[in-house]
Amino acid sequence: MVEPIPNINLALLVPALPLLGFLITGLGYKRFKNNQAGIIASTSIGLSFLVSVFLFFVLRNSGQDAATVTLFNWIAVGNMNIPFAFLIDHLSLTMMLIITGVGSLIHIYSIGYMHGDNRINSFFAQMNLFTFSMLLLVMGANYLVLFIGWEGVGLCSYLLIGFWFKNPSFNYAARKAFIINRIGDLGFILGIILLFFSFNSVSFSEVFAQASTMQIGTPVITAITLLLLVGAVGKSAQIPLFTWLPDAMAGPTPVSALIHAATMVTAGIYMIARSSILYNLAPITLNVIIVIGLSTAILAAIIGLKQNDIKKVLAYSTVSQLGYMFLALGLGAYSTAVFHVTTHAFFKALLFLGAGSIIHAMGGEQDIRKMGGLRKKMPVTYWTFLAGTLAISGIPPFSGFFSKDMILVKAFEHNIIIYILALAGALLTCFYMFRLLYLVFFREQRLAGAHPHESPKVMTIPLIILGILSVFGGFLNIPSLFGGDLSFSNFLQKNVFSKVSEEISHSTEIGLIILSLSLLSLIIWLAYRTFIRKAVVPAADGVSMTPIARLVTNKFYIDEIYTTVFEKPFGSFSNFLFKKVETNILNPIVDGVGEATSVLGMLTRRLQRGNMSFYFFAMVAGILLFIIFILTI
Amino acid sequence: MILLAILLIPILTGLLLLPFRKAKLVRSIALASSILNLLLTLILAFSPETSAFHVNWINYMGINFSLGYDGISLIMLLLTNLLFPFILLAGFGREQRNVHLLNFLILFAQSALIGVFLAQNAFLFYVFWELALIPVYFILLIWGGDGRKSITFKFFIYTLTGSLFLLFGIIYLYQLTPGMHTTDFAAFNQLNIPTGTQVWLFWILFIAFAIKMPVFPFHTWQPPTYNMASTQGVMILAGVMTKMGIYGALRFLFPIVPSGVLFWQNTVIILSLIGVVYASIIAFRKTNLKMLIAFSSMAHISLMVTAMFVLNTYALQGLLFQVMSHGVTIVALFYLTSLLKEKTGTIELPQMGGLKLQAPNMAVLFLIVVLGSIALPLTAGFVGEFLMIAGIFKQSAWFAAIGGLTMIFGAIYMLFAYQRAMLGDKKLVYSKLTDVHTLDYLILIPLIVIILGLGIYPQPLFNLMGQTIHSAENILKPLVEGALILKTN
Repeated sequence: MVEPIPNINLALLVPALPLLGFLITGLGYKRFKNNQAGIIASTSIGLSFLVSVFLFFVLRNSGQDAATVTLFNWIAVGNMNIPFAFLIDHLSLTMMLIITGVGSLIHIYSIGYMHGDNRINSFFAQMNLFTFSMLLLVMGANYLVLFIGWEGVGLCSYLLIGFWFKNPSFNYAARKAFIINRIGDLGFILGIILLFFSFNSVSFSEVFAQASTMQIGTPVITAITLLLLVGAVGKSAQIPLFTWLPDAMAGPTPVSALIHAATMVTAGIYMIARSSILYNLAPITLNVIIVIGLSTAILAAIIGLKQNDIKKVLAYSTVSQLGYMFLALGLGAYSTAVFHVTTHAFFKALLFLGAGSIIHAMGGEQDIRKMGGLRKKMPVTYWTFLAGTLAISGIPPFSGFFSKDMILVKAFEHNIIIYILALAGALLTCFYMFRLLYLVFFREQRLAGAHPHESPKVMTIPLIILGILSVFGGFLNIPSLFGGDLSFSNFLQKNVFSKVSEEISHSTEIGLIILSLSLLSLIIWLAYRTFIRKAVVPAADGVSMTPIARLVTNKFYIDEIYTTVFEKPFGSFSNFLFKKVETNILNPIVDGVGEATSVLGMLTRRLQRGNMSFYFFAMVAGILLFIIFILTI
Repeated sequence: MILLAILLIPILTGLLLLPFRKAKLVRSIALASSILNLLLTLILAFSPETSAFHVNWINYMGINFSLGYDGISLIMLLLTNLLFPFILLAGFGREQRNVHLLNFLILFAQSALIGVFLAQNAFLFYVFWELALIPVYFILLIWGGDGRKSITFKFFIYTLTGSLFLLFGIIYLYQLTPGMHTTDFAAFNQLNIPTGTQVWLFWILFIAFAIKMPVFPFHTWQPPTYNMASTQGVMILAGVMTKMGIYGALRFLFPIVPSGVLFWQNTVIILSLIGVVYASIIAFRKTNLKMLIAFSSMAHISLMVTAMFVLNTYALQGLLFQVMSHGVTIVALFYLTSLLKEKTGTIELPQMGGLKLQAPNMAVLFLIVVLGSIALPLTAGFVGEFLMIAGIFKQSAWFAAIGGLTMIFGAIYMLFAYQRAMLGDKKLVYSKLTDVHTLDYLILIPLIVIILGLGIYPQPLFNLMGQTIHSAENILKPLVEGALILKTN
């Protein structure tokens, strides 16, 4: 029995504070004026962040790697015993710090961004509810508590995508997100059930302890990991379940930053990293993850090249970056994946909030073809956005460089083809990001009549903080090549079990970095030549295009294919079942029986005049006669 | 004695009400009696001693008036007596004809239902089973909506047909009992019926329950009946009466014809899985909200039937939990539907829309109940569905995957309904629409508290089933033994 760590029960405060914030702002939504709800909501997340920081030191000073805080027995039936418990370890602390840290910045930013919206109080209530669910997800000590958070964030995502509920297409996007996630969740819950029957427990500690003695390639583990993967594919928007994420941009921009970039969509990566012991036992699943991750990374990056909505570009970029995280998971480099989650949380939250600042300034305009020249008018937004762009493109020493380079190195160690494809994806990323940057901030303003202005401080200060994190966040995990000791990865190593691969020599690594850097410079120059020197502006909609360009612009028609193959047949089938089977087959049969009864009634009517009470009498009399008959034989 | 009190309080109060003509007084007395009954039930449920009531009734035929209960009855009893106060409350402040008669019939139905769940004797069970039909028949016929005559007739014929089979089955079992014949369940459970007989007897007994629940393809009476029924009528039908079928099946099939159950197990599972998918898909395109909920209820009940027939403890526990959860959720859903009807004058979804703008609180309440219905974690539905799917998974992963489709389908049709009713832009027709009133809160908030409370902390209900765990094992024991015998053959 390990010594209980003093003060560890404070962990309960971390989800409790956002829940409290939700209850206050949610129940009192009619009473709050001005920014009150926003301040309450931001304070609750901020306090939660401070508690998380405190817990970080508590755990570090305790000398232990993990602590469990149990609230009560949730479901205890037969052999099943599922406590409502939290696990505080290095992995969950990392996620808690990201969620509450980046989360509080986004909450503060939202005070400015959502100012004037007449449902601002509901907005903050839902954001707090989201944060609460997300914290449950990463803090749960077993798969079922994780699943509570998992579905909870799905609900909040649904609510916030459809926040402006007057617009039917926003509502459609919200439903689409929820339903596609539910498809994944069915796989996930079946995975949890199989896990339970295999290990007689769903608690991480017990499952992993038993699994660590198992053989690699055990079929049941492969089945479990594949089922859990289905859930992760849905939540983290991977092929084939990624189509909801670009549509999710219908929600207010801070929502996109918090839920659809920094936190919720990384839940799938968290879950797989958490289950690293299981995944290490299932090489087949890992290969599947590599294929899914890599193809998603490239497909989404290609689509990103042709998008003209600023948020859609960032959305596809998120899908693509999530693909990189999946790639890292598939390579068994779980802590690298979590590291990319972290840096991505910084720079993608920054980019989205920057996009929000731009949209705010442009009076709601999201089309990058109509922007341009914002560099002078919005300097803070420009400089921070630039930092984010450099970070996501993987330019040293920005944060994205370290995490992405680590993934590329792992890919190289694994297989040269994977490396080449991953590098190609990175180049595409660089191109569409600089395309975005140049079109939005450089040359002259293309929308007449707009008067863009810098956003208020409540919005720019979070941008600056995230900008700093995007620049320096990579230093958390400096590889030995640059004299570092991979402190971030080592920190996680206690709870996340990355596969050990044959390391390449420093000289090869330097060669790879030089290769990718020179290619990146070439790409940036290419983007510069196209969008600044030649001042190319993407063609307006409806202008004829080459077939390939049209294919990419229309996102490979994947949405249309899904609609034709699944959505419409489902509706027709529903009509068919009701109008043909129910109405024309089942009902007539019953009516036939009924009619036979009526005919019988017609015959007996001569005796009884169709009086209902007489029927009852006759029935009872019949029963009695029958009993007597039975008794006498 | 407490059992007799619980059984008789509703019907006696109902009779007492008949001379009164003041609507408010009648409703208040009815409500007070149902709350009293709920309190008695809670005392019964949480008291350590078991209670029973027994008098000889028709001596020479071995028919006793004996009441008793086990964990399964207790859950059913608790659900019934929990829901009836809300059902009665739903009548308050509303235009209704013949309030005294209506409340009498509702209380009559309550007594009959309680009788069904407490009867320890098959003949007594059958009497209550049929008695329950009478008040409901009149509630549907007098207070129902359009087409009530033909639909009620169909409902009546349908259930009566099922009942006649059941009656035949009971009589058949009766003459099988040794020595001085009896219809006590205890004696029925002791019968050793040859497997060949059990195979056909199974359907004789099952058909009545299959219609009541309903199991595909015996469901066609249900959606039109729900659609036509008054608010209180549909609350009784969907909340409690569907559970009669589940209860009856548990009481009659498993202990009495275990070999028959094993023989037909996969047939029933497949039929009910068809029901899950069939009803869910139909629900998607239903524009009538009441019909939509009727089909959704059928899908949920079908999953419960699947869970019943996979014969393991997880599924059975989940099923009993879901009995409570489904009852509470469906009653709240139908109440909200009638609220929508009152406010907009329609239950056609395409004619609604944008109601959240005028009635944000109603939209929130509706959403929470919808989430309960699609079994989001931390609602009661999740606990039940999770255990049921886990139990079904034990039988077959494929069955679990098909049954689990409710997770997806439920989200598809329920959120679509929510969107079409509540979201979207304002419609001028509803510019004077008001939000929910105090009375609505009195009904919806407690129901929601139960939905969330049981989802967050389900253990009290499981503790209540403490005895059920044994009875579940008792039910399953002969079946598991039977399965072993079948396997060795």
